[in-house]
Amino acid sequence: MNLKQFYKLLFFIALIPLLSSCFEVIEEISIKNDGTGDVVLTINLSQSKTKVASVMLLDSVQGYKVPSKQKIQQELNEAVAYLKKSEGIANVKSTSDFNNYIATVSFSFKDVSNINNITKNILARQKIKATNTSPYLYNKASKTFSRKYQAIGNAKTAFNKLKAKDKSVFNGATYTSIYRFESAVTSSSNPASNVSKSKKAVMLKSSITDLINGKVNVSNTIQLSK
Amino acid sequence: MKKILIAIFLFLSFNVTRAQDLVKKIPLNAFTVATIKGDNVFKLMFVKDFNESFLGRKLLTETSKSLDQNFTSIEDFGINVEKNMYYFNQLSDSITYNCFLIPIKDARKFESLIQNKEKKFTQQGDIRTMVLPDSTSIIKWNNDMLYFVAGSINSSFFSDSTKSARYGIKEIRFQNNYDDVAIADSSVVVSDTVYTTTAEPMVEVAAPPIIEKARVQKKASPGKTSKKRSIKKKTGKKKAVKPKKVTWTQNVEFEMEADPSEEVVDSTATAKVNIDAQYDTYQQERAEQDAKKKRLALVWMTAQADQIFNGNYQSIENNKSYAASLDDKAIAELWISSLQDAYNIIAPGFGTYGKAGLMKGYGSLNAKLFMDNKSFRISTGLELSQEQADSYKKILNRKLNKKFLKYVNSEKALGFMSYSIDTKAYLEEFPKLLKQTYGSFMGAKMDEEMDLGADLISLLLDEEAVSKVIKGDALFVINGLNTKEVTYTAYEYDDDYKQKEVTKTKNEVLPDFLFMFSSDDTRLINKLIKYGINKNFVTAEGNIYKLMEKKSPIDVYLQIKDGIVFFGNSLTEMQGIQNNQYGSYKLNKMHKQLLSKNNFSFLFNAKNLVGKVPASEMGGDETAKKFNSTLEKMGNVYMKSNPIKGKLVSADISAEIPNGHENALKYLFSLIENAAK
Repeated sequence: MNLKQFYKLLFFIALIPLLSSCFEVIEEISIKNDGTGDVVLTINLSQSKTKVASVMLLDSVQGYKVPSKQKIQQELNEAVAYLKKSEGIANVKSTSDFNNYIATVSFSFKDVSNINNITKNILARQKIKATNTSPYLYNKASKTFSRKYQAIGNAKTAFNKLKAKDKSVFNGATYTSIYRFESAVTSSSNPASNVSKSKKAVMLKSSITDLINGKVNVSNTIQLSK
Repeated sequence: MKKILIAIFLFLSFNVTRAQDLVKKIPLNAFTVATIKGDNVFKLMFVKDFNESFLGRKLLTETSKSLDQNFTSIEDFGINVEKNMYYFNQLSDSITYNCFLIPIKDARKFESLIQNKEKKFTQQGDIRTMVLPDSTSIIKWNNDMLYFVAGSINSSFFSDSTKSARYGIKEIRFQNNYDDVAIADSSVVVSDTVYTTTAEPMVEVAAPPIIEKARVQKKASPGKTSKKRSIKKKTGKKKAVKPKKVTWTQNVEFEMEADPSEEVVDSTATAKVNIDAQYDTYQQERAEQDAKKKRLALVWMTAQADQIFNGNYQSIENNKSYAASLDDKAIAELWISSLQDAYNIIAPGFGTYGKAGLMKGYGSLNAKLFMDNKSFRISTGLELSQEQADSYKKILNRKLNKKFLKYVNSEKALGFMSYSIDTKAYLEEFPKLLKQTYGSFMGAKMDEEMDLGADLISLLLDEEAVSKVIKGDALFVINGLNTKEVTYTAYEYDDDYKQKEVTKTKNEVLPDFLFMFSSDDTRLINKLIKYGINKNFVTAEGNIYKLMEKKSPIDVYLQIKDGIVFFGNSLTEMQGIQNNQYGSYKLNKMHKQLLSKNNFSFLFNAKNLVGKVPASEMGGDETAKKFNSTLEKMGNVYMKSNPIKGKLVSADISAEIPNGHENALKYLFSLIENAAK
């Protein structure tokens, strides 16, 4: 999960009411052999839509201000505008469905390193000093795709500072990452990951709480057939 | 200081004999009085039980440790646990006294608590006095009582230069202290002489501030005024000021901006203001002034404490409002003499909105805590002005529609809330109340406008007609939970992990609510429904109407029957009402009384919620288990308003204790014990 998603997530917490709620964050990256590709980020709160809809009727919940539909749309538009300006990024699109509470952002990149730059810039903008930016790397020659992930220390501390009531918002929330390739996958280093039947995709699913707390590591090195 | 307060409070909490009650020692002008009734507390729990409880053990071991002694019972503290303990405060424009009065059983035991280390006390007759190290508080005791007073100077008083000069104190402000310093200098001389040249005890020099209505201070220093005068003459306040003033004016003539120290005066032309040096001087002067304030506070406190022990004054018992607020059965009581005054005191902190007079008409406030074999109860009361009380009596002259009662199912209801007011009286009285409460907030100039506004409201509204449409009684009840199937969007992945959007269903638990109000004239509401249908806001299903609100996560239905307008989210329930199939519920006696006898009531029945919410809705089994076990331990929690008695409006909050516990206090201790495990 990159930081952009993390902030989006934090942003959405405000929407989520008491106790439970199931929501999912999905990150899909498709990479062609030449290193170009597409990203689709999805946040799906549909399973908690009754609660979200209830909360949207309120001004604030558990001390968090509830953003209006307009405000969410505006944030989304800003994210799109920002992405459009980013180097190596094109075809930026976003969708938002306020009946089911699903939002997506998608774009194409020239090289996976472009995504890393976005994360870096966001970090800089938020004035967060972090060395780990969960970078993606694709080596065209060796045909290896890798992602280095380290739980963000700040996120864990911030999360542990939350009240138990607020923390429980994350119970049942999941993070899914899917990487798709043109060539077949020969190996995937993360034992928690699954390779699809077609051998051309790798999926990793984990709970968001485990991710924040660093119990789960989503680092992976994927070797493609040459 | 804080620690001592806490320690004293702890003593207060658990210790009280039957000799003279210390209330007689509380002056008539006390602003707040809080009481812990030791006799009532220890009726619920033996001292021995307390010593063995978690809190008791903790208190005893901690004190034993910190004082390096071995305490086995709270009675070892020398305090009389079976008598009332009091806290009170006294306010004046210049100082606030926070005071504790604690009954003593064995003074020697108490002394052994505090004497230890370097702490020493002085003794005069049987009265012992100890000034605490930081001089902000005094402890004074004899064989019957202990008195603790902490005084805090009101900084706002001393920012008034004319007032503070009287005491030789000057408000020092950084960057603005060029001229202040000179004045302060002059006052310093005065006050210093006052303090240093007299061999008399300080008390006699600086008379304590006069607290309004106080008889205490009037008799404070009989026969000592002459001494005071002679001292003043000796020190020659005016003489001291005059020469200094000359130097000050000279300084000003030479160099307005310069620091009025000699050096600067000498080299006015070249003097540069050194900010750092100036700041140091400022800090130093500030510290000096603060020390002076502290000394003054100590002088005042000493006089106040002497008064408590030796003075002859009227006690708070003579205050009718205080006397009326007492209840023999309460285990703790709080009384604040005037909400209006309390507001005025904190009001300056609210800035422009804090204009005095906003709470006009509100008198004393009291709260009482009761614990018995069934429940905890907090009873609060507020005294109104006669005018307000009359208005409220008119407004509250209505009972809840009896027909409402058949729609409450005691066996399933999670909770309810009801209120009943007379709409017509409310509309008539409201402008008056508004004017009284906010009139002074708007300023005297607005009086006419307020009057005009009030008349305008009366003119525009036909109170009678409005009261027919909305009579003023309403009931909101949650008669249980229902599961509802909802759809949501999820994703499935094919062999290539390609995403496929699918629609899934799940069960959600939603409370079934029902809201109703009485209406004698439903024509307007019918018209509104008709309008809604025409505009597609409402759809009709027989006599039941569904509100079409996209934003709402639940369906809301509406119907009018027997002069009652119903809103609810359960179609089955609404149909039941329509077809008269709803009356079979049994309303238990307690619920019935709560609803029918009070103008306002609220109830939460936690037990009816146990196990009703699926774990998946609460974020996992563990949370659900905790949630359910907490609910199981809760009895009914309810609130109700009481009828107005005289000028007093009051309300009660009660929490029942679960079966199997002797009384609420013991239950509370068991909860603490469990929480600590």
